[in-house]
Amino acid sequence: MAFKVIEIKKSVLDCNDRDAEALRQELKAKGVFLLNLMSSPGSGKTTTLMGTIPALVQRGWRVGVMEADIDSDVDAHTISATGARVIQLHTGGMCHLDAAMTRQGLEALGTDELDIVILENVGNLVCPAEFDTGAAKNAMILSVPEGDDKPLKYPLMFSVCHALLVNKIDTLPVFDFDLAAVEQRARQRNPQLKMFPVSARTGEGMEAWVGWLDRQIRAWKEQ
Amino acid sequence: MHELGLVFEMARVIEESLAGEDVTAVDTVVMEIGEVSSVVPHYFESCFPAARQRPLFRDAKLEMEIIPAMGRCKRCGKEFSIVPTKGYCPQCGSFDKELLSGREFNIREVRVI
Repeated sequence: MAFKVIEIKKSVLDCNDRDAEALRQELKAKGVFLLNLMSSPGSGKTTTLMGTIPALVQRGWRVGVMEADIDSDVDAHTISATGARVIQLHTGGMCHLDAAMTRQGLEALGTDELDIVILENVGNLVCPAEFDTGAAKNAMILSVPEGDDKPLKYPLMFSVCHALLVNKIDTLPVFDFDLAAVEQRARQRNPQLKMFPVSARTGEGMEAWVGWLDRQIRAWKEQ
Repeated sequence: MHELGLVFEMARVIEESLAGEDVTAVDTVVMEIGEVSSVVPHYFESCFPAARQRPLFRDAKLEMEIIPAMGRCKRCGKEFSIVPTKGYCPQCGSFDKELLSGREFNIREVRVI
């Protein structure tokens, strides 16, 4: 049988990258700042949001949240108590969100009269790093009990993030976790990375993180 | 663990690229996978049969070419294969480099009927 060879020469992720860039520009035009928040399960994403949202509201920002944790709506209930507009995205077992799914989520949430939307991505340090969601900024949470070798194991995640929250620093005395080593390992891959050691539980360090976020939203809406 | 999603994404991009062409079936897909692309070739191969539920891919086969990860040292300019040295320049020891190749996850070509 005669085959015809068709050259494609396309990156598989190009399609998503294009969708993501288009979404980013649309959000920019509407003045909506999308934060893509990534982490392992159990790193304290929900607790961090509970500490972040009221501080953003206090600064006058109107906040929306999209929860993409796999098949659970416990988190959405918890978050809605902060007064933010929340929807739960059921990703049906997908390990990440792509730009198209993010767009659908934003349509369901409704972005009118919102300044910032926080996307709580699926708890996983591999796949979400690979797929651009169209967010203005990416942030990740690494919690102390997970260990200081995470930047060595998941280099791409640390490369794509603009901010790194090191959470649960109140537990530092009981874990063998070297904060300086994390910083050095993460910076090696991403010299521009901003690092925020926090304890979402005690509130320690949260002000610096919220201050950074506040400046990013302001810059996004002004430019 | 994300290889299954990538198989579907690959199939979607190929279908889009072949739209308008006179093609009845895809015989072989030739992929280029970079050494540091975070796609595990073995897992990708295991997931590939999932594409066969799509009409165009019913009898499709997969070929993979692994692209070595090459870097250029930003301190001394040496070009080197980064996996064996864990990313450090073999000449001057610096970690600061520009990645020249190795992150590819490309569909190079398809052989079609």
